[in-house]
Amino acid sequence: MTLLEVLIIPKDDAVAFTFFTGYMAMLAASIFFFFERGRVSDKWKLSLLVSALITFIAAVHYYYMRDYYLATGENPTALRYIDWTLTVPLMCVEFYLLTKAAGAKIGLLWKLIVASVWMLVAGYIGEAFNPEGGDTSHSVLWGFLSTIGYIYILYTAWFGEVAKLAEASNNAVVKKGVRTLAWFVLVGWAIYPIGYMCMPGGWLNTSFGWGSENVDLFYNIADAINKIGFGLVVYSIAISSTKEEKA
Amino acid sequence: MTKATFIFISFLLLTLTLISGGYDASLSGQLIITTPFLLILGIPHGAIDNVLFLRNKKIKHVHFIVGYLLFVSLNVVLWTAAPLIAYLIFLVISAFHFGQSQFCHYFNKQTFVAKLLFFFWGSTLLSGLLYLNYNETQIIMDLYKEFDQFRVLHRKIGLLYFFSVSVSLTIIFTVILTYKRLLTIENMFMEFLVLTLILSAFYLLPLLIGFTLYFIILHAFKVMREEYHFLKIEQQIVSLRGFISLVAPFTVISIVGILILFGCIYSNLVNLSYGYSLLIAFSSITLPHAYVMNGFYLLTYNKQYSANMK
Repeated sequence: MTLLEVLIIPKDDAVAFTFFTGYMAMLAASIFFFFERGRVSDKWKLSLLVSALITFIAAVHYYYMRDYYLATGENPTALRYIDWTLTVPLMCVEFYLLTKAAGAKIGLLWKLIVASVWMLVAGYIGEAFNPEGGDTSHSVLWGFLSTIGYIYILYTAWFGEVAKLAEASNNAVVKKGVRTLAWFVLVGWAIYPIGYMCMPGGWLNTSFGWGSENVDLFYNIADAINKIGFGLVVYSIAISSTKEEKA
Repeated sequence: MTKATFIFISFLLLTLTLISGGYDASLSGQLIITTPFLLILGIPHGAIDNVLFLRNKKIKHVHFIVGYLLFVSLNVVLWTAAPLIAYLIFLVISAFHFGQSQFCHYFNKQTFVAKLLFFFWGSTLLSGLLYLNYNETQIIMDLYKEFDQFRVLHRKIGLLYFFSVSVSLTIIFTVILTYKRLLTIENMFMEFLVLTLILSAFYLLPLLIGFTLYFIILHAFKVMREEYHFLKIEQQIVSLRGFISLVAPFTVISIVGILILFGCIYSNLVNLSYGYSLLIAFSSITLPHAYVMNGFYLLTYNKQYSANMK
């Protein structure tokens, strides 16, 4: 495959367009977070590094996914889930790092990682092992199981350990940051199921005729919002906290 | 986000995945699923109106019950004499009650704008329910001849107009209250999200399942949670068990009452259809309940209680 072939993007292909913009945005965000690490106090450096890693890992995967999509016209399901298996637990690490100063224990991190892996593995089985032409019962079963993992993380972020630790921190910046990340989990992460239900046999596919090309469109939009947005929230907390320390 | 909102979102997501599996959405199938929830959780949320109303009042319990039954009788008379007016009153009071229940925990004082928000939020809910399930409501209306007189209120274009106006005014009043700092920006976005999810549930799910999901979790569960905390603060109960024994008698009486009503219809003692008589029964329960709850909210979300109620 020549470079010229790879770069041909059909004008009306929104999915290809979002793969390219997603790739560049993730890469730009990684560079930004890496360089900005130097501006924040020591206790926030690890959080910013994790933010940079999340977007960098995504950028590398997007590099491969955009080529895969343009070459085959198919959903790069395996690459997508490899990316998520690495980046979603890292997002859970961000929650842990934010609340660590307020006494978060390593057990919290593991619980969040287990829930996120559960959510992803169930989603992967639902999507990757969907029979040819689509099977609604298969999609429903694994979608339901995946949702349980999501609900656990949502609960932890809004009412559970993370929320309680943020409240106990008595730090307005941390409280606001955790609440903003909880909003990302509530609204941003909820975009993914919309994509999931567009696959053959999925509800939006069978009931509303939304084509399977929308799977990647929704996933790309959600990734851009969640990964870069998540990182920017952490960055904003780190900058505010550093300013407060200096004042 | 309140716990009721979290539970609503969780159940909505899980219900959507299950419903997408090809559930039979016939009316009888929906009734089989929703009736137990409505009986076990819906009725109890109004089953301690007597306790809430009589608090610190020198009124005897028996007088309350006589007054309550008198009120119900007057309502039944109104339904007999002027059904359209009775139906309209039921809708208006329900709209205000649903809105008040949704927003009450934000305000220590219910201003005029807040009351407008209560009403238009509730009217968005009811008009949205009827408009977004237009075909299903028509099927239900076709089942019972008494509903013919309400068709004037159920024209599609009228419902769309009322729904659009209600949504617009709900947004405007929410923004005004945020601007006046009676709601935070986060509260505003949360309420917009919740309303969007409720309307999505009405659109995506069958009529009764969508409404029951809202009614049981966002309304009945929230109200019972508030009642429970209030009675604990007041030291009228010490545990969940105490609360259950408090709500149980009138819950059972209400269920028995509905069964007797159905028995009377079955044996032709009452010449009304099941659907129409249920509508009158719900209206008769709702009106006094909304009145009692209005007093309850005015009392509980003042400075004395608000910190412990949220």
